[in-house]
Amino acid sequence: MTFEGVTRPSMDVDIACVGFGPATAGFLVTLSRRLADPSRPPLESRAAPGMPLQVVCYERADDVGFGVSGVVTRARAIRAAFPDLDPAKIPMATLVSEERMLYLLDPTGASRRSVTLRAADRTLRAFHRVEDHAFELPFTPAFLRKHDGIVFSIGQLLQWVAAEVMATGVVQIWPGTPVGEALLEGRAVRGVRLLDQGVDRQGRPGAGFAPGMDVKAALTVVADGPVGAVGRQLDEALGMPAGHGRREWAVGMKVVLDLPADTPLAAGTVLHTFGFPEPEIFGFLYVHPGRVASAGIFVPSWFDSPTRTSYRYLQHFLQHPALWRLLKGARLRSWGAKSILESGRRGEPLLCGEGFARIGEGSGSTNVLNSSGVDEAFATGVQLGEGVIGLLEGGHPFTLEHLERAYVARRRESWVEREGQVAEKARHGFQRGVVTGLVGMALSGFSGGRMSLGNEPPHPAEQIGSVEGFYAGKISALEIARIRADCERRGVPLHDALMDRAGWPSIPLDGQVLVSQQDALLLGGKVQAPAGYADHVVFLDPELCRGCGKRVCVEICSAEAIRPGDAGTPTFDREKCVHCGACLWSCPTRLPGQERVNLQFRAGAGGLHSAEN
Amino acid sequence: MDTVLLLTPTEPDGTLPRAALEALSAARAVGESVWAGLFGARTGKAVAALSGAGVARVLSTEAEALAEPRYGSDVVAATALVRASGATVIVAPALSRVARFAAGMAERLSGRIDTHVTQLSSRGGLSATRWYYRQRIEATLVRAERPWVLLVDPGAFPLASPSGGAAPQLEEVPVEIGPELRRTRVAGLRAPAAGEQTIRPDAKTLFVAGAGWTKKQADGAPHPERAGELILGFLRASGASLGTSKSLTDQAGEGQKVLEFMSHLNQVGQTGSTPRHSRGLSTCCHGEEPHVVGWRFIRERRAVNLDPGCGWARGKADVLYVADAFAVMEKLNALLAAKK
Amino acid sequence: MAAFQIVVLGSVVPDPLQTLEPVATPQGPALKNEAMLPHVLDPWAGHALFEAAHLATRAPGSKVTLLALGPRQKLQQVMMAVAQKVPFELVALDGPAGGFTDAHEVAARLAQAVEKLPGLDRGRLLLFGGWESASRGAGVTLQMVGERLGIPDQFFGVDQLSVVEGGGLEILERVEGGKHQVSVCAGPPAVLGWATGNLPEPKNNPQLGMANMRGVMPALQKAAAAPVGQGGVKFESVAVPRATRETRIEKDLSADQIAREILEWISQD
Repeated sequence: MTFEGVTRPSMDVDIACVGFGPATAGFLVTLSRRLADPSRPPLESRAAPGMPLQVVCYERADDVGFGVSGVVTRARAIRAAFPDLDPAKIPMATLVSEERMLYLLDPTGASRRSVTLRAADRTLRAFHRVEDHAFELPFTPAFLRKHDGIVFSIGQLLQWVAAEVMATGVVQIWPGTPVGEALLEGRAVRGVRLLDQGVDRQGRPGAGFAPGMDVKAALTVVADGPVGAVGRQLDEALGMPAGHGRREWAVGMKVVLDLPADTPLAAGTVLHTFGFPEPEIFGFLYVHPGRVASAGIFVPSWFDSPTRTSYRYLQHFLQHPALWRLLKGARLRSWGAKSILESGRRGEPLLCGEGFARIGEGSGSTNVLNSSGVDEAFATGVQLGEGVIGLLEGGHPFTLEHLERAYVARRRESWVEREGQVAEKARHGFQRGVVTGLVGMALSGFSGGRMSLGNEPPHPAEQIGSVEGFYAGKISALEIARIRADCERRGVPLHDALMDRAGWPSIPLDGQVLVSQQDALLLGGKVQAPAGYADHVVFLDPELCRGCGKRVCVEICSAEAIRPGDAGTPTFDREKCVHCGACLWSCPTRLPGQERVNLQFRAGAGGLHSAEN
Repeated sequence: MDTVLLLTPTEPDGTLPRAALEALSAARAVGESVWAGLFGARTGKAVAALSGAGVARVLSTEAEALAEPRYGSDVVAATALVRASGATVIVAPALSRVARFAAGMAERLSGRIDTHVTQLSSRGGLSATRWYYRQRIEATLVRAERPWVLLVDPGAFPLASPSGGAAPQLEEVPVEIGPELRRTRVAGLRAPAAGEQTIRPDAKTLFVAGAGWTKKQADGAPHPERAGELILGFLRASGASLGTSKSLTDQAGEGQKVLEFMSHLNQVGQTGSTPRHSRGLSTCCHGEEPHVVGWRFIRERRAVNLDPGCGWARGKADVLYVADAFAVMEKLNALLAAKK
Repeated sequence: MAAFQIVVLGSVVPDPLQTLEPVATPQGPALKNEAMLPHVLDPWAGHALFEAAHLATRAPGSKVTLLALGPRQKLQQVMMAVAQKVPFELVALDGPAGGFTDAHEVAARLAQAVEKLPGLDRGRLLLFGGWESASRGAGVTLQMVGERLGIPDQFFGVDQLSVVEGGGLEILERVEGGKHQVSVCAGPPAVLGWATGNLPEPKNNPQLGMANMRGVMPALQKAAAAPVGQGGVKFESVAVPRATRETRIEKDLSADQIAREILEWISQD
C-alpha cells in the first residue's frame, strides 16, 4: 500500500531473512559461524562498504520461538550442526526413551467410521486386544520411527539457537517485525517491505503513522513457513513448478500440560495415535523432562466436513480413556495452533531466483511420510548457508544460476531430497479415505516411494464437502437446516450444535485440563496483538462471502477470531488470532479464474506469547 | 523486642491523615507499645488526635520548609525523628509523600525497607506479607536487620480505634533544612485535564470498563459514542469511580476517538493502579486477563460479560451476568434516574 | 537547552501476559521455569527510557544510557525488542533479576556502576527509572541508588518533565485522588521514578535497531558479573492466591432483572 506524498524510509543490508524458524536457524548458525571465525578472511558488506556483512532476520511474532510446538525429531541435521548437543541444556528437550503407536477406538459412538473401520473395531474387540478403547500396535512402522530422536519444544530450541547466533554479534534477529511483502522488480527480489504501523484496521494511516521500511538486500532468504505472506506472494507472482501446488494441509492444535506428580509416563515417551476423535484425525503425546507433556491433534484439509474444527476435537482427544488415564489430574499450561503444509515435495515452489532463495516448510521440505519437518527445514537452511558462504567468498552475485548451483544442487544431493522423493505421493490415498490413506502410506514407505495409492489432491477449496453429506445417516437434512437457522440467529458457529446432535458428549470444563476455548488463549502467555496494525485476515469480496453458505473459516478458526458476522461476511478480531493460517486453506470460494481464495491471510503482528508451545 | 514507631507526615492543616490511622492499627500488630513520629509545617492537631490512641510517646518535627512535600527536606526530618526515637521498626502509611523518601531514609539509617505491606504479624517474631509480580504471588517474609521500615498500603488495615490511655509524652525534634535541600519548590496540585473527574478513590463502587465496549456489537457495528454515554451516565448517577482495562486504555492512547473522558490514570491492573473500593463491577472485559491483577483489594466482584466461559465464571467473581452490557447499563441508568 | 546525561536504570521482568508460579530453590523462592519464561524490559523502566530519549531529542548533545542488571541471556533477548525503539547505549551487569532479589544489594551494585560511568558529570545527571518494577514491585531500588549517590532531589510517580526557562525542571508526580503535584527543581542532578508518562510507545525502527546493536552487543559481551542474593531474608511462605469464590452464573435473566439486582447491590451500605 502506498500513500500520496509519503516518503517510505529505506535502508540497505546484504542479507535479509524473513522469519526465524528452524530453517533460518540452520541458515544463520552456518553463516554466523563463518562470519565470526577470526581465522577466515572477513566478508565485507556491499550495502555498507567498510562494514562487515550486514545480515538481518525479521520475525513476525513478538518473540523468537512463539507459536510453534512440541516435536519429536531424529534431529540429524541439528545434531550435525551441534555435535555436542546436550538435550539437558535446552529446556524441555530429552532423548526419546520409548515410542508407541495407538489405534484409538471410539468410546462415544459419535465418531464417523467407515464400514471397514467398524469391522476392524469389532474384530479387535472380539479378540480382546482392546484396553481402554485403544489397541496398541505391536510395532511402529519403520518410516515413522523416531527412536534415535529427541523430543523438543521447538520454541525453546529456537530461543536457544537464537541466543547462540545473536551472541556472535554478526547477525541480528528482530522479533515483533512482520514483513509485509517482498520487493519485486519483474522476477527479481530486491529486498523486503515491513508492515506499516500506526494504521487503522483497514490499513489507513492514523495517529503515529509510520510507513513500513523498505529493506533492500542483495539476497532475501524467504523462510516464513507454510502460511507466510512473502512465500505465497512469490508463488503467485512467479508461479510454481508444473504440477506443484499447496494442496494438502493440516492444522496442528496442541497443549502443553503439567502431568500429575504420580504420573507413570517417563520423559522421552512418544505416543502416535490415530482413529479418534474422527478417523481423519491423528494425534500425539510427547513427554518432556520434569513431568511436562505436549499433546495434540492434526485436523487435515481432506477431512472434508465444512464444519471441521479443532479445539473441541482436541478436548475429546484428551478425554479418550487411553489418554485420560494418563492426563487426569494434569494441568493445562499453554496452548497453540499452527498450519502444516502436508504437500511436501509436491508443494515445493521455485527454490531460488534473482536475489532470493527459499528454505524450510514453505519450500516444501517437510517429509510427509515420516511426519518430519523441523530437521528437514533446518537442513535446508544449512544447505543455503553453505551455498551463500561459497558465493560470498567467490564474490559472486546472488543470481538464479549461482543460487541454483550453490544451494539447490546441494539440496538435491541431500537426504532431504532423497527421502522427500520417497514421501512425495505417500499421502495421496487420503483423498479416497482414511483406510486407503493409511494403506497408501505403508505402501509408499515399504516400497521406497515406488508405489502409492490415490491421486493428486485438488485445490483445498474443492476438497470441502457439504454438512448434509458429512452427517448423512446421523442427522437429517431437516434437522441440519433447523440447527443452521438457530446458530445463525445466535451468531455462533455450527460445529458445537452439530457435534452435540451427532452424539458427542458435552465437555465437562474443569479449569484444569478442560477449559473454555477463550480461556485457553489466556494460558501460558496470553494471545494478543499490538495496536496500530491493519487486520491481516481480509475478506476480499463480501458478496462472495454472502453466497458462501459454508463459512468453514469460522468453524476452523483456532482461536475464534473469525466469527459469524452480520449479513453473511464474517468478522475478524486480530487480538485473538494466533496466525495458524487454517482459514487460508479452508475458504471454499476461489476467486474466478484464480488460485486465490476470497479469504486473504496477510502478514500481521501479534499472536501467541508462549515459547514452550 | 522490637520498638515500633508510627511515622507520618501531617496534612497542611496539621491534622493526621486517615491513612495514618490505618497504619496505626498495623503498628499495633507489631508491638504493644507504639510511639509516633510526626512531621510537617504544623503538627498540633495531629498530636492532639493521638491522645487516647494508646500511643505512649509522640515525637514531632515542625518546620515551614516541611510545608512542601519533597524528598530532600522530608528525608532529613523523618530520619531525625527515627533516630531520636531509637525505634527498631518503623511503620508508615504508603502515601505518595512517604513513598517518595522512605527507601532513602532506610538507606540513611542502614536499615531495610519493605513496601506495599498488607499484613503484619508478631507471632514468633515480626513478619510482613506483601505481593510480588503485580499481585500474582504473595509472600510472607522475615528480616533480621534493624531498623526495618514497613510501608502499609491504604485500605489494607482497618482504622485504629481509640484505645484510651493518657495523653502521650511529646518530644520536639529540631531539624536543620538548609538551602541545598530546597532546590525543589512545590508549585501546587494539578487536576487531570480530561475535564470530568472520574477517579474517585472514596466511592463505594468501582466500575471497570473493558475493551468490549468499543468492539462490534450484535448489529455488527461498534458504538463508541453510546458506550461513552452509558458509562459516563452511570458514573454520574451512581458516583462510582472509573477503572479501565489495559486494552481499553491502550486504544485511548493510540489517539482514537474513544471514550475521551478516560486517561491512562484510570487503568486498573498491569501498569495501572490497584484500587481499594469495596465493590467492583466489571463490564465487557472481552476475554482480557481476569483480573486478579489490580482487583486484589476489591472485596465484592460482579461482572457483566457475553461469554459464559470467561475467566470470571470460575472463582474470580461472585456473580457473572451473561448479558449485553449495553442493555444492562441502559436499564440500570434508567433505574438510577428514577430513584432520584 | 543544556545537554543532559540521562542514566536509565531498568531490568527484565517476565512478559506480563505469562502465568506465574513460585518454586522453592536452595537460594530461596524463584519463579517456576523462570529461564523459559519470555521476558520484557520492565514496563515502567520502558516508559522511563522512552521519556529519556524524548528529552534527549529536545536537549541536543544529551546522552541516554540504559544501565541494566539482569541475566545476560535475558538482557540479550530483551534488547531484540527494545533496541528498535529509541537510541541509547547499554551498560550491562550480569546477575539475577527476579522479584525476590534484595533491593538493597541491587542498589549497591547499581550505584557503584553509575559512579564508574565514563565522563559522568553530576551537574548534568538525571537518573531515571520506573517508580516500581513489575517484579519486586516495591519502588525502592531507584530511590536507594539516588540516596547512595547523594542526590537530594527525587521524584516518584512522574508523568511529565519539562525544562523551564533558566534550566529548571518542572515535574509532575502522581499523588492521591488522581491529581499531580507540580514541583520545580533547580536542575540536575535529580532522580525521576516514572509512572507511565504520556508518550505512546515508539514504533519499531529497524535502522535504529541496527545502529543500537553495534553498541549493545559489545556491552553484553563485556557485562561484569553482579551476583545479588535475597539479602538474608527468610521467606516463610510464597504462594499464588487461590480463587475462593463460588461464582453464581446468571444466563437467563433479562437486562431489566440484572439491572435491578445490580442496583440493589450497589445501593447497599
